[in-house]
Amino acid sequence: MLSVALPRPVRRFIDNWFDSHNPPSRDSILLHNRRLYILPTRFGYLFAIMLLLLFLAAINYQNSMAFVLTFMLTSLVIVSLWHTHKNLLGVTVHMQIPRPVFCGESCELKFELSHDNTSRRYAIGIQYLDRPPVYLKLDPAGSAQAKLKIPTHLRGEFWLAGITVFTRYPTGLFHAWGWLKFDLPVLIYPRPATGVTLQHSMIEQYDGQTSTSTIEGDDFAGLREHREGESLRHISWKAYAQGRGLLTKTFQGQARPSLWIDWDLLSQDSTEEKLSLMTALVLAAESEEQKYGLRLPGVLIEQGYGNAHKHNCLQTLAVFRQPAGNHEFRPADD
Amino acid sequence: MTSPTPAVSQNLAMRSIPQEVTGRAGVFAVCFCFLFSIAPHFVNLPIWVIIIVLIALVWRSLQNIGMIGELPKWMLIPLVLFGGVGVFAEYWTIVGRDAGLALLTVMTSFKFLESRRHRDMLILVFLCYFLIATHFLFSQSIPTAVMMFVTLVVITATLITLNQRDDSVSVKKRLQSSARLVTLSVPLMLILFVLVPRIPGPLWGLQSEQRGGVTGLSDRMSPGKISNLIRSNEVAFRVEFEGDIPAQSELYWRGPVMASYDGFSWSQTPRRSRSRPDLVLSAPPVDYTVTLEPNGEHWLLALDIPTRMIKDSIMTGDYQLISKQEINDLKRYSMQSRLAYQIGIDETAGYLATTLEYPDRYNPETLEYGKSLALLFDRPEEIVEEVLKMFREQEYYYTLRPPALGNNSVDEFLFGTRRGFCEHYAGAFALLMRSAGIPARVVTGYQGGEYNQVGNYLIVRQSDAHAWAEVWIENRGWLRVDPTAAVSPSRIENGIDEALADEQSSFRIQNRNPVFGNLLYSWDNLQHSWNDWVLNYDDRKQRNFLQKLDLGIENWSDMIFALVFLLLLVTALYWLIAWYRERPPRPQAYEMMFNRLLKKLSKRGFRKQPAEDTRAFLARLPQGELPQRDQIAAIVELYNRIKYGRHGASARALDTLRSMINSVRI
Repeated sequence: MLSVALPRPVRRFIDNWFDSHNPPSRDSILLHNRRLYILPTRFGYLFAIMLLLLFLAAINYQNSMAFVLTFMLTSLVIVSLWHTHKNLLGVTVHMQIPRPVFCGESCELKFELSHDNTSRRYAIGIQYLDRPPVYLKLDPAGSAQAKLKIPTHLRGEFWLAGITVFTRYPTGLFHAWGWLKFDLPVLIYPRPATGVTLQHSMIEQYDGQTSTSTIEGDDFAGLREHREGESLRHISWKAYAQGRGLLTKTFQGQARPSLWIDWDLLSQDSTEEKLSLMTALVLAAESEEQKYGLRLPGVLIEQGYGNAHKHNCLQTLAVFRQPAGNHEFRPADD
Repeated sequence: MTSPTPAVSQNLAMRSIPQEVTGRAGVFAVCFCFLFSIAPHFVNLPIWVIIIVLIALVWRSLQNIGMIGELPKWMLIPLVLFGGVGVFAEYWTIVGRDAGLALLTVMTSFKFLESRRHRDMLILVFLCYFLIATHFLFSQSIPTAVMMFVTLVVITATLITLNQRDDSVSVKKRLQSSARLVTLSVPLMLILFVLVPRIPGPLWGLQSEQRGGVTGLSDRMSPGKISNLIRSNEVAFRVEFEGDIPAQSELYWRGPVMASYDGFSWSQTPRRSRSRPDLVLSAPPVDYTVTLEPNGEHWLLALDIPTRMIKDSIMTGDYQLISKQEINDLKRYSMQSRLAYQIGIDETAGYLATTLEYPDRYNPETLEYGKSLALLFDRPEEIVEEVLKMFREQEYYYTLRPPALGNNSVDEFLFGTRRGFCEHYAGAFALLMRSAGIPARVVTGYQGGEYNQVGNYLIVRQSDAHAWAEVWIENRGWLRVDPTAAVSPSRIENGIDEALADEQSSFRIQNRNPVFGNLLYSWDNLQHSWNDWVLNYDDRKQRNFLQKLDLGIENWSDMIFALVFLLLLVTALYWLIAWYRERPPRPQAYEMMFNRLLKKLSKRGFRKQPAEDTRAFLARLPQGELPQRDQIAAIVELYNRIKYGRHGASARALDTLRSMINSVRI
């Protein structure tokens, strides 16, 4: 609204001022006086025009009761300015660490609002840009949760911007708001390409490697001491029952086939298409229980498997050559 | 990993909220709100407009519960045109008070039919706020003001409903929230009312519009006219005297003076302003302030005879005060009168000729009798006395219900029915005088008034309306002659109630209601103060009031400074009270005691983690380093029993806990 009309340096100055007064927070934001802003809504301005007309009419007709009404409504504006501000003041907003999603899915942000006043707060909205807000109310000293679903259309690592907590209660004449800037990145993996199997010619595959004494494999090899972090599935419960402690079964034989997902082997032209394909390959490799590694220009991830490894790979793909200066959440063009 | 970069250019944009369809509760609230705001206007609106309002409300309500569909969009333009044409056909204009109100009402009703979204609803609520203002063009009385506050609460509750986004809140709760907002606004409103600099209006030309159903004196007087007026108990004006109130018999409030007679009714001659002072004063002045109710005419009432001019008015040659504007609002003016005087000694011959004219065709008996009087007596005073004697001594009656009269009304009255009201006597007397060659005219106005001892002022009602005559006698000028006084002396001495006691028509509060008399006087006094302080609060009154306060508030900048200061002061006070009332509750007593123990422990290095359960914390305490551990275990046990147990924090349990905690030495 305002930002459109202002010249660039002025805008930058104002933005910097606001940013320095609204530092991003790690987990929760307390909406105190310096973090809360309030402006009239469109209806507030309309109301002001109506008041002006009433005032002129009162002067013209020298109608005392029209003066009383005009001043009564003016006072109502003052009181509702204060009430709207009060409705948001002292609320603490806590955001949960958002879970990464694939591009195209909607990212779910979970907020918890709480306060310790004995007042009741109504119609507190959380809004992402101009999308429909989510409203909640707070009982005395109560808390409430809100979920905001945000569609995604770009992969990468983003810092949330443009999320506000606001209220127009009780009269809708004023819009009080605070910015919710959290120092929590939202990770958006590339959109996985569809119809991709591991038999794809673009993978450098190493089959038939053997290794000894892993917990994977076909032939039982023996028992060794259990290490923390190993799956409970491989614990020999029989040995445990015999009082020998926690032992892990090891197997001899073929380990996971391993493969490299290699940037240079892909024939697609665009970065995004390549990343999309690689994402799909990571997912396929993981689901087919293979060992896989990533080779990207300048980045190498050693072969491995498991959830942490998958996440590491996907994150690397997500932020790979992410366009500079584009780290804000933007709404999808829908 | 990329590093976080600051968000850019999101800051100033205030978000717009996508339009939503208003919920059921919201629509019903707006329907009720509109009905509530418009209902008092039903008396001022043509019937077809009322029908449109009701249809719109019923339609929208049924639509709300899904019984009928939405109005087709294409019908809206024809409807709006129909409304506009209808209003024009009704009033031959679409501006002005009555037509404007009808137009606003019709258009609001149509807006109702097409409103679905939040924005439409808010606009409807704004229109309701605006509708309140239109009430004040019709009435500014105390009941109307009370109604305004009630309506404000209803409309604001609607606004709250639309913004609350929670349909589970009860209507009562919403009204309470709204009443709170309105109540909090009242002190601020008073500050604004007193201190916002008043600009003398009007700002632009006004088409003066007469108020509906105003009763008052008219510019014609014919038999039956005043006796009609007298049935109205409405207040005509109230008067505060600076000194003592003169005797009832001296309270002649001079109104329209009528010098032309057409055989049936008396009317005013074209106004003449006074050419030269022809006034001889022979009594001390009487000072008083009149608060005149709107009469829709130009007359300003004053005691016979006024000797001061007021702004925007003229004094005619027959000593009548005429306002330049129609009096459609309450008017307050200070006046001075002399109760003994001589006027019109040098009256112009032209005017005297006018006051001798009468048509020959009517009332032949009266004219003959008048002419015979002129032959019988030499001096005009004797003729006057003779006629008054006739009224006094013959069977003439003063009554509010005189028989109907025909074409020769004066003949029929004087020689037939002999029953009449003041206008019969005054008119007949003036005609007799004219036929006897004495210049005469009729004066209408009010006589007497009721004293309100609660507020020490005089109430003059329409029922005090009166008519009397004036005759011109050489070297003495115009003399007041009240023939009614000859017929019914008590009318003049004691007022209308006494004179008409046998007709059971009581106008005085005291006579009407002896039990609640004082209460009714207080109510009248309240209305008088209301007129004085609220309705009459203009730039002059404001200046006087602020001067009387003596706070050094003298000009506009002082007023605005004081205004801002007071507004800030009151809102700061509100803020403080709210902060105190809504502050977080103090922790429970047992929590405070237990915290004391935890503090002691943390000084020794045993710190309880915020998320840690008390028992887990206890388990963590090393027995070796802390010999009091068993004692602490007992305290933790008791604390948990108080906090979570069925019996809660009984006084005994709290005492035990306190003594246990006090006895621990750490």
